Amino acid sequence: MDQTAQESEEGVIVLDDAWWEELMAVTDGAAAPCFQCGVCTATCPWNLVRDRFGSVRHFMRQAQLGLQNGDEDLWLCTACAQCEALCPRGVPIAEVFRGLRYTAWTRRTTPAGLPSLLWSVYWNNNPWTQPPSQRSQWAKNISLPDFDPDEHEILFYVGCTSSYDRRAQKVTLALVQLFEAAGVPYGCLGDDEPCCGEPALSVGHRPYFEEVAQQAADVFGERGVTDLVTVSPHCYDTFSSEYQGAHQGFRPSHYTQFLAELVQDGRLAFESPVDLKVTFHDPCYLARRHNETEAPRCVLDAVPGVQRVEMERTRMDTLCCGGGGGQMWLETAPGERLSDLRTQEAVATGANVLATACPFCIACLEDSVKAQGIQDLVVMDVAELAALGLGD
Amino acid sequence: MVASLYGVDEEQKAVWVFLEQEGGKLTGVCLELLAKGRRLADQAGWQLGGLLLGRGVAELAQVAIAHGADEVILAEHPLLELFTVDGYSRVTFEVLMQYKPSVLLLGATPNSRDVAGRLAVRLRTGLNADCTDLRLDADTGLLISEVTGFGGGILALLESPDHRPQMSTVRPGVFPRGEPDRRRQGKVVRFPVELTDDVIHTRIAERIIGEERDLTQAEVLVIGGRGIEGHFDLMQDLADLIGGEVGSTRPPVDEGQVERERMVGQTGVVCRPKVAIVCGVSGAFHFVVGIQEADTVIAINSDPEAPIFEFADYCIVGDVFEVVPALVAALRPAPEVSEVSHG
Repeated sequence: MDQTAQESEEGVIVLDDAWWEELMAVTDGAAAPCFQCGVCTATCPWNLVRDRFGSVRHFMRQAQLGLQNGDEDLWLCTACAQCEALCPRGVPIAEVFRGLRYTAWTRRTTPAGLPSLLWSVYWNNNPWTQPPSQRSQWAKNISLPDFDPDEHEILFYVGCTSSYDRRAQKVTLALVQLFEAAGVPYGCLGDDEPCCGEPALSVGHRPYFEEVAQQAADVFGERGVTDLVTVSPHCYDTFSSEYQGAHQGFRPSHYTQFLAELVQDGRLAFESPVDLKVTFHDPCYLARRHNETEAPRCVLDAVPGVQRVEMERTRMDTLCCGGGGGQMWLETAPGERLSDLRTQEAVATGANVLATACPFCIACLEDSVKAQGIQDLVVMDVAELAALGLGD
Repeated sequence: MVASLYGVDEEQKAVWVFLEQEGGKLTGVCLELLAKGRRLADQAGWQLGGLLLGRGVAELAQVAIAHGADEVILAEHPLLELFTVDGYSRVTFEVLMQYKPSVLLLGATPNSRDVAGRLAVRLRTGLNADCTDLRLDADTGLLISEVTGFGGGILALLESPDHRPQMSTVRPGVFPRGEPDRRRQGKVVRFPVELTDDVIHTRIAERIIGEERDLTQAEVLVIGGRGIEGHFDLMQDLADLIGGEVGSTRPPVDEGQVERERMVGQTGVVCRPKVAIVCGVSGAFHFVVGIQEADTVIAINSDPEAPIFEFADYCIVGDVFEVVPALVAALRPAPEVSEVSHG
């Protein structure tokens, strides 16, 4: 059968075999184990902000059968993995969504403007159309050690957003302060630091991602990287879970994990009290995707004066900020932003600080704090709070 | 290096402008190129030619002459009514091979860029894309094109000594237009076009002219953010006085104070105006990527620590509701003072 899938005037739906085969190839048949229980649809956070949402279960069924309907809701998935956490069949649902998105790339039905994201990674080595020559400008006022495997314990992998986004740069600089306070020999790759490829992967273009990942892995291999610490959980997730084939033997960790180790080993201690009531927002890519909810709390608890409180949805049940799965490059309608709900949850705890550990979470949450005119709540990164604990 | 199809020894000493037309009018950048081309030609003692393709566009040849052309080659054919890159490249190539002008200038518009690339390959010549200035060395007859890189941080001056034509596409808005002179005389030469639809691989199924505003083409933008508290009338007043368009950051769009098509930034429009006046905008990264290609950014914000000031060329620390009305008042033409009042 080689007809294309379409709903004819009589309401007959035709299966598209070619499309189905392409999808099977790109997802490796990931949707096959799904038995259509619908837990994914029921637990999807989009239910909290949308009356009507093309059900997750429906997408899984389409993927199994090779039925395509060009549903725009395909681009809503934030890859928060809430559905995956509860799926009784262990279906990698976000991966199926990426596969469905990939078929949109091959059929040129991606949302307008999205190709420019891939072009930016191609031309600029970052998704933000920023000049590659300015990647290390965040460090213009400090002297950044060029990575040397013989001298340095870790490669500090800054990542694109943390290099260019003026807000995120503050977190990057706080981390430098912390490494120096702990006497960690660290180095960076400066303008030569490669993009990890997550932007391409998040919008479903796996083949291009593989290309970027191979180039990045080559750079790490050439530079002799063995231990790599990322700022963003997105880069961390990509290096940990997606660099299998291209993996050159380096061990990635998220900075909260590395700081927690430093604290436990007694290498990093905080002297200066930080009298703030703090609630921690678990980034999905750290909590649900990597089961890491302890490290950031361990760092916060080591800072004297910090009073930690929890939000209603916490740890493995964290509520997505809405920034994952490529949403940073897509538009979310007002009134449908998960970060609005999340900031209200933070307000309900009475905390002064909504802490998190991801540049995308910071961007979304801070936007919601401003947009809703929330007073008395600031969004900070764990690294910034920890740096406050160092004192002067 | 491969020789171009015609060389320096065969060239006609002339500057030519590719006259792109749309909806019965020459594009603005063509008029700019005619004015600039006229000056270049005069300095070198050359002719200024125009190349006009289309259907029923003969009167535009007179417009080109009024704007400075000495001669316009007019190639008309039913299949040239709507732009297709196949048809336009093919006919332009034939005309160039017959007349062999030394210089060919095109506007850096989507269609002309499309034609320029194909022509350069077919003619085995070079192409300087998106130029910001042009000079013509009267002694050597060499065109020197200025190209900027990295947001204007690097300037390169390019010339093509051995290949003809010397081709450049020029960014719209870099050269001023001249005043048309209706009494100017020029020659219109009809070029016989033979074209069949089998050489045109594009079928125009439908032509839809959107009503959307295209902020990407605006040369002057007045952009309001959260800080202007919805007073887009104020932005419009300022924009009207300086011939600009009004843009917005995301919060006012979310609030419904202004249409989404005016949103500038990562998920809105990325534009490259000559001047952007940014009012009451804090400078979130998502917004800034939308104006980083602007030549000059003037920011007005009451918070001296606002990140927008890191991107601005001119920083005005002040209340937008004081600064903008003062600007508007200063720009508004003063009412004529009659002689009598001087007593």
